[in-house]
Amino acid sequence: MDVVETKNEGLVRDYKVTVAADDIEKRVDERLAEVGKTVRIPGFRPGKVPLKVLKQRFGGSVMGEVLEATVQDTSRDVMTDHGLRPAGQPKIEIVSFDEGKDLEFDLSIEILPEIGDLGLAGIELERIKVVPTDAEIDDAIARIVQQNRETKAIETPRPVEKGDVVVIDFEGKIDDIAFEGGAGTGIRLEVGSDQFIPGFEDQLVGAEIGKQLDVKVSFPDDYNVDDLAGKEAVFDCTVQEIHEGVDVAVDDEFAKSLGMEDLGTLKVAVSEQLGQEYNRLTRERTKRQLLDKLAEGHDFDVPPRMADDEFDQIWKQIEQAKEQDQLDEEDKSKSDDELQSTYREIAARRVRLGLILSHVGESNELTVSQEEVNRAIMEQARQMPGQEQMVIDFYRDNPQASASLQAPIFEDKVVDFILELATVTEREMSPEELNKEIEAETAAADAKSSDKKPAKKKAAAKKAPAKKDAADKKPAAKKAAAKKPAAKKPAAKKPAAKKDDAKGKDA
Amino acid sequence: MSSNRKPRGRIEVSAERMYELVRSPVITEKATMVSEHNQVVFRVPVDATKPEIRAAVEGLFKVKVVGINTLVQKGKTKRWKGQPGRRIDVKKAVVRLADGDSIDITTGV
Repeated sequence: MDVVETKNEGLVRDYKVTVAADDIEKRVDERLAEVGKTVRIPGFRPGKVPLKVLKQRFGGSVMGEVLEATVQDTSRDVMTDHGLRPAGQPKIEIVSFDEGKDLEFDLSIEILPEIGDLGLAGIELERIKVVPTDAEIDDAIARIVQQNRETKAIETPRPVEKGDVVVIDFEGKIDDIAFEGGAGTGIRLEVGSDQFIPGFEDQLVGAEIGKQLDVKVSFPDDYNVDDLAGKEAVFDCTVQEIHEGVDVAVDDEFAKSLGMEDLGTLKVAVSEQLGQEYNRLTRERTKRQLLDKLAEGHDFDVPPRMADDEFDQIWKQIEQAKEQDQLDEEDKSKSDDELQSTYREIAARRVRLGLILSHVGESNELTVSQEEVNRAIMEQARQMPGQEQMVIDFYRDNPQASASLQAPIFEDKVVDFILELATVTEREMSPEELNKEIEAETAAADAKSSDKKPAKKKAAAKKAPAKKDAADKKPAAKKAAAKKPAAKKPAAKKPAAKKDDAKGKDA
Repeated sequence: MSSNRKPRGRIEVSAERMYELVRSPVITEKATMVSEHNQVVFRVPVDATKPEIRAAVEGLFKVKVVGINTLVQKGKTKRWKGQPGRRIDVKKAVVRLADGDSIDITTGV
């Protein structure tokens, strides 16, 4: 094996490797002998096939196999000999090979940049602690009440009003012909809840008990039954009963019906839940701060190919958005070149952050245990009630999928680790103040969008990372921080944050 | 019978007959073994004669044939739905080539 270094520039190393023909031949023969032990060829007893015949039959495929193995082995040797830590897969190009001739190939490796001491302890961060206000707790309880509302039949007959629950019989017809699934008896329907086809419930308003009523509606064009979509239908409806909502008093009794001891504990539980939501929000914020600081404080070259890969991914996303005309307003006004350079910067930043995070994780021996992965799987399973087993099986059968779960866990652990080292100041805040602050930050970010990456953009480009091939060995961690258009409600935040968290980092 | 007697010695064989005569090489352990002695084994029609085979092999492969041994492998008796039946017989020719000549059986004709 002959190795000649042809390029040593920045993070890129190129080598020209030559493997002698004899070497390859020897490997091929060895491999053939191995194959010959098991293969069955008519006319020969197993294991008695002469090498000559084997070569005729399997020479080609074994040669390919051996070539691949040789290339891989030798490139690994090159790396260990030169003490290189590769970032991503090395690029290999076979220059020349023929039977009986030397194998020559070009090997291009990108190495991981040296990341020195990060000075994690010197990072100053601010964590915001949000205490839910009484008003918010009351709001939340009111919502629970709304969901648990009881109804009872009205005593004095009156026409249906919005908000009532009616019990109806109905039979639907299109062109006077009853259609499948169009009839029902004793169906409970809350008028105004939009459970039925649009327009149906509105027409029930004013109906009286026992009276027959024709409801004319047209199915929406995107109705999930193709035959019915877009058709006009007439429903024969008879209102059997009208129920009205009963206000429920918020007291110990109500709390007990929810399985709580008394109203006090219910309030505590609700406030804890709200607190958790805010915690998540503020944690995201702290994380973002941390990542910003890390990215600012450390400027080293990133392996160009990794950055390119990352950029390609983002760009694909953009192209798609462009096609569907969902591009951010601010991006629309830019030319392709401008966009490209902006996103190239973002890609480099992401790769850099990914490298830093994986470096911290590695050098501090942070690993994701199977247990933690299992917990994440259970978490996923819980989100799909009724299909828990399927979800669990899916992750068990697809190591790739569970590897993709590892990435965010690993990132969280690293972030936690850094947070412990860093100087974190805490500040208490009310939810309104927090919202205001986030809004202000978003506005500020938008204002100086051209020099610093705007929050919004990150959100748009965010979704790509989740799709990242988990098997990919690259530690190309994605930018964390779900930089969503900030002022979203905490409740709506949850699923979004989940998704955005899924980075393609591999431990 | 005299009209049925097969000709001996060197004979002329038409090109079509040549291709018919050399049906396929036999590739087995035994065939590989005899190849050590510069012999090649072919499957030939049951009615082929040694002079014919010699002419065909010499004509098709441009080699010198030193000697030919032939054998007829009788078909096995098989039963199918209780009825006895027989598989066809196969004639093989073991052709010895002159020193220095060889036939690459994989390339075909």
